[in-house]
Amino acid sequence: MLDIESLITRYGTITAVRDVGLTVQAGEVVCLIGPNGAGKTTLLATIAGLLKPSAGRVTLDNKDVTGWAPDRMLRAGLALVPEHRRIFSDFTVRENLLVGGVTQPASRRQELLDEMVTLFPVLKERLSAQAGYLSGGEAQQLAIGRALMSDPAVLLMDEPSLGLAPVLVEQVFDLITRLRVSGRTLFVVEQNAQRMLAVADRAYVMRSGEIVADGPAAQLSAREDLFETYLGQSGGST
Amino acid sequence: MIELIQQIIDGLGRGGIYALLALGIAVIFGVMHLINFAHGELITVSAYTSYWLFASGFNWWFIAPAIIVVAVLTAVIIEFVAFRWVRGAPDFTMLMTSFGVHFLVQALFVMYVSANFRQFPRPGWIFDTWRIGDLSLEVFDLAVIAATLVTLLGTYWLLQRTMFGVSLRAAAEDFDTARLMGIRSNRVIRGAFILSGVLAGVAAIFWLMRSGQAGPTAGLNPMLKGVLAALIGGLGSLSGAVLGGITLGLVEVLLISRLPGGTAGLTDGIVFLLIALLFVFRPQGLITVRRVERV
Amino acid sequence: MQTDPLRRAIAPTLGSAFLFLLLLGGSLLYTANGDASSNSLVTQMLINAVVVLGLQIYIGNTGVLSFGHIGFGAIAGYTFAICAISPERKLRQIPNAPFGLAEIDLTPLQSGMVALTLTIIVAFVIGLALSRSGARSGAVAAVVITLALLFVVHEVARNWIDLTRGGKTGLSFSPLGNATLQGKVPIYLILVGAIALARLFKETRAGRLAQAAREDDLAARVMGIDPAVQQMIALLLSVAVVSAGSALRVFELGSINPRLFFFDYTLLTLTMLIVGGRNSVAGTLVGVLIITAGSELTRNLSGMDVPGMNWLLRDGLTDIFLGGAMLGFMILRPAGLLGDWEVDHWLYRRLRRAESPPAPSPVTTARSTSVLQAAKVTVHFGGYQALDNASLEATAGEVVGLIGPNGAGKTTLLNVITGLVRSDSGRIELDGTVLTGLSPHGIARSGLARTFQNFRLFSALSVRENIGVVHLMATRFRQSRSLPPVDTLVTQAGLWEHRDRRAAELDYGSARRLELARAAAAGPDFLLLDEPTSGMSDHESINMIDQVRSMAELIGAGVVVIDHDLNFITGICDRVYVLDQGRVIAVGTPAEISVNPAVQAAYLGTTD
Repeated sequence: MLDIESLITRYGTITAVRDVGLTVQAGEVVCLIGPNGAGKTTLLATIAGLLKPSAGRVTLDNKDVTGWAPDRMLRAGLALVPEHRRIFSDFTVRENLLVGGVTQPASRRQELLDEMVTLFPVLKERLSAQAGYLSGGEAQQLAIGRALMSDPAVLLMDEPSLGLAPVLVEQVFDLITRLRVSGRTLFVVEQNAQRMLAVADRAYVMRSGEIVADGPAAQLSAREDLFETYLGQSGGST
Repeated sequence: MIELIQQIIDGLGRGGIYALLALGIAVIFGVMHLINFAHGELITVSAYTSYWLFASGFNWWFIAPAIIVVAVLTAVIIEFVAFRWVRGAPDFTMLMTSFGVHFLVQALFVMYVSANFRQFPRPGWIFDTWRIGDLSLEVFDLAVIAATLVTLLGTYWLLQRTMFGVSLRAAAEDFDTARLMGIRSNRVIRGAFILSGVLAGVAAIFWLMRSGQAGPTAGLNPMLKGVLAALIGGLGSLSGAVLGGITLGLVEVLLISRLPGGTAGLTDGIVFLLIALLFVFRPQGLITVRRVERV
Repeated sequence: MQTDPLRRAIAPTLGSAFLFLLLLGGSLLYTANGDASSNSLVTQMLINAVVVLGLQIYIGNTGVLSFGHIGFGAIAGYTFAICAISPERKLRQIPNAPFGLAEIDLTPLQSGMVALTLTIIVAFVIGLALSRSGARSGAVAAVVITLALLFVVHEVARNWIDLTRGGKTGLSFSPLGNATLQGKVPIYLILVGAIALARLFKETRAGRLAQAAREDDLAARVMGIDPAVQQMIALLLSVAVVSAGSALRVFELGSINPRLFFFDYTLLTLTMLIVGGRNSVAGTLVGVLIITAGSELTRNLSGMDVPGMNWLLRDGLTDIFLGGAMLGFMILRPAGLLGDWEVDHWLYRRLRRAESPPAPSPVTTARSTSVLQAAKVTVHFGGYQALDNASLEATAGEVVGLIGPNGAGKTTLLNVITGLVRSDSGRIELDGTVLTGLSPHGIARSGLARTFQNFRLFSALSVRENIGVVHLMATRFRQSRSLPPVDTLVTQAGLWEHRDRRAAELDYGSARRLELARAAAAGPDFLLLDEPTSGMSDHESINMIDQVRSMAELIGAGVVVIDHDLNFITGICDRVYVLDQGRVIAVGTPAEISVNPAVQAAYLGTTD
């Protein structure tokens, strides 16, 4: 479904993503874990088209989409739920969802909107509330719902549990599980590694801009040295 | 009391035009963080259009819609020729670019038409007044207020109820996220310029009916008024721009009527001074929309 | 290189002299045949050069866009004219002038002095207003305030008929004996003064600090620089030069009216400024030359009659040229032709002696015994609680780590300590002195220097200058500390080879090390580092341990460091604070922390 080959992203003189390759199959939930500063967000931003890669290839459904602008990427079937949710806080919940469906014909947009309020009952009650007043958990559901409004083939999520209280973190992982059950293809960047590994099919571990480990989520989760790998003590002293 | 009511109506008439201009400037500032000092050029081009159309024998009923079309076209051309290329550039570059456009358009008219002002007939009814008791109302003011209301309502409907409006507001709130939702940058920015062109066109109709002249610097005064009104309103805020325009109109009328004789010519200067003082003490504008900043 | 007279004074002076002689020689050659029109063209160009140099001093060094300088010019021009015109003529032109101005009879020099004094007073007031509005590079408020000045002066000039004779006729004083200034010494004197002033100002303390703030206002503030002071100095000098030029302009033209110092002249001078490069004195003069030549050429062309070209060769071509030049340069080359290049940069490279890096200084500064305390800091952003009663204490003898998952509030805590974010409650103390509520530059001067997660260097300045400007600040406000020389810091950061490169050209690791050295140059009691290894490879981050340690030892400061790299944290820290959701959940040695279950849970989440 989504194939990344030898991707390199530079900001000026900084190489934030170094030669990254990965694959997400249709219907799979794949996660990317790793410490802050590893380049995960940069990688997602590059895939979604917000940043231009310096080298490498991104293919979506066997179509070369390298370097496409985000709006074109969305139309090709890839949506991103950005870090910090970035909901339009001056908008109502309904308007937020409508923006998500901007690429859909009007009738389909209404259908999708109905689907979303079924999927996220919390939003149904608050459709005409201003989105800026939503709680963190509600806002995260809105951000995901908004991205799903484009009916994407692949959904990318950047740190969906970030800044949420523990109870709400649970909700987010429940939600990911529900999306997985409904057959969505997800690629999720997440700090909360153990919790994420529990709901994913496969995982990649990223450090210093590179993929340092990958494999089935259950296997990675069971690895004793994960904490060390994760935090950079792989060859370390302790 | 009667006098005050009359002045308020007069102020609303002026302020309505300013509000339309300011709203156009605020819409563009919203999507590209550019203060469009070339906004007045839409009025300049409209003024010459009116002059030529009059010379060709058309009347206001034809000219009014023509002005809107021409203002929209000019806005789109300016975006395509100049502003597209400095998107995302530092503030200094964008400010100077918009001044560059301002001066260049002015120079084109000096070169191909004349540095002198050309007169064209003003519609006969603009000096008519209606008397209601002791109150004498200028028909022109009422027409401006009505047209402003209709335009603002239309704009409100467009921004709130159409997908284009929602996209525009989304882009103004968070451009990158809007792109992630599939909103096309070129299209939404062009849309913003078209909207600002329509608003400037409506403002131009009334501005020109009152001034009845075309010249290379015809747009300077309306541009300044629009920018000032938008600044009073806090630049990014659309409702702020409208309030800023109306505030500016009212303040002007009150100043003109209260300044001692001989200093009335200083109205513009005093208004400018007041706004500068406003900026000294409230750099974020009068009406502020505070957002939580991400750290 | 604390003071490098060759670089800061001798070369710039020689460079200025060279530029002046070039202009002088060129003018004399061009006017050798003595025809009146070329004489007047050259005179006007030289006068414009003075005015544009005045603009350069302010706009170039501070980055604040001023449209008001020509307004200062109008004040100076009118003051000059009203003082210098003979009483007989004044009685005819403005018999009702207030304050008995009609009787005043001053020489041109005296009039110029009066004009200068008056405009400087106005400039001081405007400067206060600008600083109150928080002027910085590209600030909108500054544009509005300066435009207001231009307009208000214009309106007054048009409407105060008793004083200015209004807008129609204006004031005139020709013929004033042999009043023309063409080829006269005063122009050359003022020009050479303006060139030298503009060029040397760039090398003064005020000029250098203003440039740092132009490059990054926030970074300058947290390094202890207060841009308001430097901007005021730049404004006063700049207005003085503009006034002198404007008085000359009025003298030369023999008359003044409100239109003379309004939008058209603003356009002309600003275009001259940006075409050559607003950050360079040589560039400014190149701009003046190009625009003068271009205007003259287009003016001549517009009068020509070439078949098929009449659509282009007509009146108004000059204005098209000016507007087009402004627009074209902004779109294609916003920094102008020369950027910030100066003639004397070349000269300096020729003349300087071979440099060698300073020997590694064995003298390490005595460690300060300071204590930094953040007590019960709480911060809300809207409904989001970023910090919840977080406390931290560090003594200068140690390296304290601050770790925690993304969003835990680490950077926010650093922002509160350095005065960038105001806390809802809690206090920050350094050796018992309360820092809470101080400005960022006040806090820096009290002894805290920081780096940023996404580094903020003064990107157009050289490596050495990045450190040098902060060192300048420290020599005034951190005298109690013994500060290592700039070149020692450059060498210590391993940047000796790159010392003259722009910060923007550095690779990532070097830029990080430069930011560290720049913070060290502030002579702080504590270095506060926000993710010094982020984006570095494992190998680089191990090297960073030594880098941070040796830098801290060199200046005798304590360190508080945020990082995610546990190798780095373990390698460098004596104690570690762990933050999660705004709260401190653990404190201890790195070894204790790495086996703490609460910390593992915070990072990896719980499995159940």
